[in-house]
Amino acid sequence: MPSSVELIQSLINGVGIGLVYGLVAIGFSVIYNASGIVNFAQGVFVMLGGMFAHTLLTTLGIPIWLSAIVSTIAVAGVGILVQILIITPMWVRKAPLFAIILATLAIQLLIEQIIIITLGDQPRTFPSFTPGGPLKIGEIALGYQLFWILGCGALMVYALTQFFNRTRMGRALRACSQNAEAAALLGIPVNRMLMLSFALSAALGAVAGILITPTQYTAYSVGGPFGINGFIAAIIGGFGSAPAALIGGIVLGVVQSGAIVFFGAGFKNVVALTVLLIVLLFFPNGLFGGLAKKA
Amino acid sequence: MNVKTTLAAALAASAFAVLPATAQDNIKIGSSLGLTGYGSLTDGHWRDGLEIAIAAVNAKGGVLGKKLELIAEDNKSTPQQAVVVYRKMMSDDKVSAFDSGCISAGNFAAASFVSKAKLPMFLCSILPRQPDEQKWAFSFLPPPKFEVDARYDYLKSKTEVRKIGLLADPSPYSLLMRGIAEKAAAEFGLEVVANETYQQDDSDFSVQIGRINSAGAGAIIMLGQGNAVVTVANNVKNLGLNKILVLGSINERDILVATGNVLGEQFLFPSPLIQLAADDINVITKPESRAAAEPFISAMKAKFGSSDSSMASRAWDSIMMMAAAMKKANATDGTAVRDAFEALGHYDGAGASYDFSKEQHVGITKNPYVMALVKDGKLVLKK
Repeated sequence: MPSSVELIQSLINGVGIGLVYGLVAIGFSVIYNASGIVNFAQGVFVMLGGMFAHTLLTTLGIPIWLSAIVSTIAVAGVGILVQILIITPMWVRKAPLFAIILATLAIQLLIEQIIIITLGDQPRTFPSFTPGGPLKIGEIALGYQLFWILGCGALMVYALTQFFNRTRMGRALRACSQNAEAAALLGIPVNRMLMLSFALSAALGAVAGILITPTQYTAYSVGGPFGINGFIAAIIGGFGSAPAALIGGIVLGVVQSGAIVFFGAGFKNVVALTVLLIVLLFFPNGLFGGLAKKA
Repeated sequence: MNVKTTLAAALAASAFAVLPATAQDNIKIGSSLGLTGYGSLTDGHWRDGLEIAIAAVNAKGGVLGKKLELIAEDNKSTPQQAVVVYRKMMSDDKVSAFDSGCISAGNFAAASFVSKAKLPMFLCSILPRQPDEQKWAFSFLPPPKFEVDARYDYLKSKTEVRKIGLLADPSPYSLLMRGIAEKAAAEFGLEVVANETYQQDDSDFSVQIGRINSAGAGAIIMLGQGNAVVTVANNVKNLGLNKILVLGSINERDILVATGNVLGEQFLFPSPLIQLAADDINVITKPESRAAAEPFISAMKAKFGSSDSSMASRAWDSIMMMAAAMKKANATDGTAVRDAFEALGHYDGAGASYDFSKEQHVGITKNPYVMALVKDGKLVLKK
């Protein structure tokens, strides 16, 4: 039987990684709700955030806060490019949704290859935003980066909630998610909203990547696992609101962490997918699917 | 058609007619490599080593008055495709020998028909299993136990650490290493107090590391290559474990540097001298080994910059030894080359020293690894 210290530590670690999954899940939800597209290139934005920030930080010597801001904007730009160059042409030509979803997978592979060619395949990491640590409470260790993840995660959810509920643009995006044709008839530029959703979700992925890199590493290949876990988190949360996606991520992170404690690392994904199946069995629209249909 | 055009056409035709004859004069070396799929990283380095070695041999006039020519085929890291490319290189390219990458399953799958054709196989991987196949195969891979022994020997002779925790991924190679590590611990007076696993793409190993620490281990013995060691380093740091040692597996230079930059002298790893020599040639003190290493390092840096050299160095050695065997045999047919190769005796190469013989087809018989650490972004010997 694991000790209480082990359990608490794994719970904390699970929440930390779960928040990152949650940010990726919100990205999935934003695009899905705006267009019905499941963007499987979402994980690649996580990778790009970490890679860009590392390059700016180590190659150009730009401070981490500025590197983070510039990287987030740059990745949002990549999201817009993806939307303009790939998604919109397919959308305009009325390509079936599954074809567009498949295209997002191809985008992931393409971007990964571009990164290998331009930045190489080696792993990179950079120090925590706040040097030192960890904070010790008894035998429990809390790395300073965890507080950044917690703080930024909460801030992002708050900001997104405000954006979707209190701004014209956010409401317009919600309108598109409810009924794109009706929104277009009301004068909402649906295509521009789709562009906004890609920029927003790419930026969210980038923030996740920048936050998590100091606790592990980034490399061209990290996007896949984050994309899959973010997608599972989005399903558990129900593709509904930002808080729901974030909670879905935390549930997944804690379940995975607990699975390692009780069953070993080999069973982490088995347990996580079993939980997913159980959730879908009892809540086919996800844990919060029926409660909110915002963004 | 005027006279000039006719002459030009005739010249072009004759040039094309000459080309196959020239190619036929070359000694063709076939290589089955996992250039895509899971083996792409290691086999890519193996190919790099083959390329620069063949260029170096050809620059000195080739072998027996002929140029060496590399026929490299991608086996996609699968045994099925390996069989296809081995057969293609035998029937279409008429290769004289094979110098193939690290995809063991692919080399195993082809070994039966390659050995029946009496073609020698120089391998980055372990030897095929059947004795008849082993007669034609030569392995340039250091036995896995050496990697474990280097770390255990360091702990025993240079530290007070006697309790260790194993952290292994579930790949076949790591499972093999884990078995070796469990058995070998007692030989060095060490006790395995924790035995944890991880998945390569996991984003957090804090639970496993916490368990190893709670069990009283003074060192984490990581069994598994790849980027995960960077995450382990960050986790150790975030858990505030500033006394526990992390002893990683052999790895790519960039991965080692990234990990060392996080943990400093807490992170140690076994490394062949050639990997350290890329930063400082003076680590190689044996004159014969240094003489072999210097041209390799020059060629490597000229063509591939700071790319990892450990794998490529053994590929380089395999070509140099193959060329030496062909010269000694004064022939390129399989049986003559194999017999001459077995009779080469002790050979100090760039990547290691080798002692192949008729009975010994695993060439590296002495531990080539030293313990190293990362200092100022460079790999240095741990003294």
